[in-house]
Amino acid sequence: MKNKLEQISPRIMAIPAWVFLIFFSIVPLIYVVSSSLTNSTLAQPFKDFIWFNNYKQAILDENFGRSLLNTFLFAFVVTSLETLLGFLLAYAVRGIRGLSTLLRSIALLPMFTPPVAVSMIWKLIYDPNSGLMNHYLMQWGITKGLIAFLGDSKLAFPSIMFADIWQWTPFCFILCYAALQALPKAPFEAAEVDGASGWTVFKRLTLPLVLPQVIVVFLFKLLISLKVFDLVYMLTFGGPGNITQVASFYIYRVAFKQFNTGYAAALSFLMLLIITIIATLVIKGREFFMRRSE
Amino acid sequence: MTSRNIVSKIIGLIIAIGFLTIILLPIVFVAATSLKIPLEIRTSGAIFPQGGITFENWVKAFRNVPLTKYLFNSTVVAISSTLITLLIAIPTIYTVVRFKTGGAVLPSLILGTYVMPPIVVTVPIFAIVKTLELQDKLVGLILIHSMMNIPLAFWLLDSYIRNIPVELEHAAWVDGYSKFDTLVKIVYPLIKPGVLSTGVVCLIMSWNEFLFALILTYSDASKTFPIGISQYIGEHGMQFGEMSAAALAGIIPIYILVFIFSKNLVEGLGRSGLKG
Repeated sequence: MKNKLEQISPRIMAIPAWVFLIFFSIVPLIYVVSSSLTNSTLAQPFKDFIWFNNYKQAILDENFGRSLLNTFLFAFVVTSLETLLGFLLAYAVRGIRGLSTLLRSIALLPMFTPPVAVSMIWKLIYDPNSGLMNHYLMQWGITKGLIAFLGDSKLAFPSIMFADIWQWTPFCFILCYAALQALPKAPFEAAEVDGASGWTVFKRLTLPLVLPQVIVVFLFKLLISLKVFDLVYMLTFGGPGNITQVASFYIYRVAFKQFNTGYAAALSFLMLLIITIIATLVIKGREFFMRRSE
Repeated sequence: MTSRNIVSKIIGLIIAIGFLTIILLPIVFVAATSLKIPLEIRTSGAIFPQGGITFENWVKAFRNVPLTKYLFNSTVVAISSTLITLLIAIPTIYTVVRFKTGGAVLPSLILGTYVMPPIVVTVPIFAIVKTLELQDKLVGLILIHSMMNIPLAFWLLDSYIRNIPVELEHAAWVDGYSKFDTLVKIVYPLIKPGVLSTGVVCLIMSWNEFLFALILTYSDASKTFPIGISQYIGEHGMQFGEMSAAALAGIIPIYILVFIFSKNLVEGLGRSGLKG
């Protein structure tokens, strides 16, 4: 008896994980798929079976299309800038050991700041009357009038992106710094003996060696960015108009403001499908680059 | 030391100071705003208070909204959900790494859940929580947060377990330890630094979580800190002084935690972010 128990104990240890999966992803996904074929509302789940009408509506829904485009635009722009800046910063400070330890501790702060609080901080910074941005832009004579960053149709989206860049560049910095530190020492010593210039060492040695890892950082943050919700909810609530509406926010609106859960389920399923395709490509990409970095 | 090295060090130093300033400036500005006189806040965006310092905003923030209650709720939810997450994640990751339990399916399902945007499952989760009659209760949120963090814990702990030499465990088995005893007595002490940093990350993620808390809590008795303070936006005009004080009240505990464990966190992130 005891022996038998011992034999299956690895499987027993995995039971809580299966329970988690069943309750947190398998049942919810079945729920999403089945209610996407109905006319459900928040109060009346599974009302009227309507086949694929929700999907037909979704494909023609301009708001949904735009919100998906916004999500990808957001994720791609912020992730590119964050990875690039994070890498350049890590490269620039790699030589100063003492300070960089302090710098990395401080760099942990933005990414762990509650997103709601991050939004409030930036709401305050952008505010025309109380914010630091307008105050100093005017004082230094860069702009003449007050700018409502979050209310302006051209500036609202870049302003949200800027807040995200503030929050996540330090994260990319920490990872890139770790990647740079993990590089083998020997080739660099050899290059120094040969008297290679700094730029040559960077171009011929550092960059090719570290690039696979930097790409891993990029792909990882890209997946986080596709989930964007909090910043948009807090900073602009999708506005002005629908300009900053991202997919997560649009689905939230349909489900919990218009109570149209059947339609929201169809949108969720489509979003999941698209992100799964991207994630599969990303994971394959990561595997490819990690193999190259070994 | 060549002159080129000195120049690059000086440039690095300047960049480091600039970077530090940009990270800290928004936080310092909020802290300064929370100490400004309300009239000054409405008229000036200068970083530091010009018209003296006041604690009025802090007093108001704790008096006008049940901030203490929100912080208390967040603490309860964050600590309980983290403990549940670790209790589920540690045996799972151990058995997946060491015994290949669940083959390739189990780990990819778990990590797949991490990639999934939470909005996708909010409607069903809302329905499940409602069926269990746990809506607007801390227990409901605790369960959801502990599940939400399992993939994260899984991903963070992975490299720590992989680094343990399997010979140690073989020796324990030979000595008659059961597999579960081996995990508790041999493996756990070795991965403790990893468990610590994972626990801190899960704690903070639960403390910060917005979307699930938004749909699952609606009375002050169960609202967490992010939901509580989100009401400052939009409702009755912007009370920036009060809002800054309230936001800081929830930020400061996190920053203390981050500073205490900063070495662990930097190491843990570097390991998982680049390898897993």
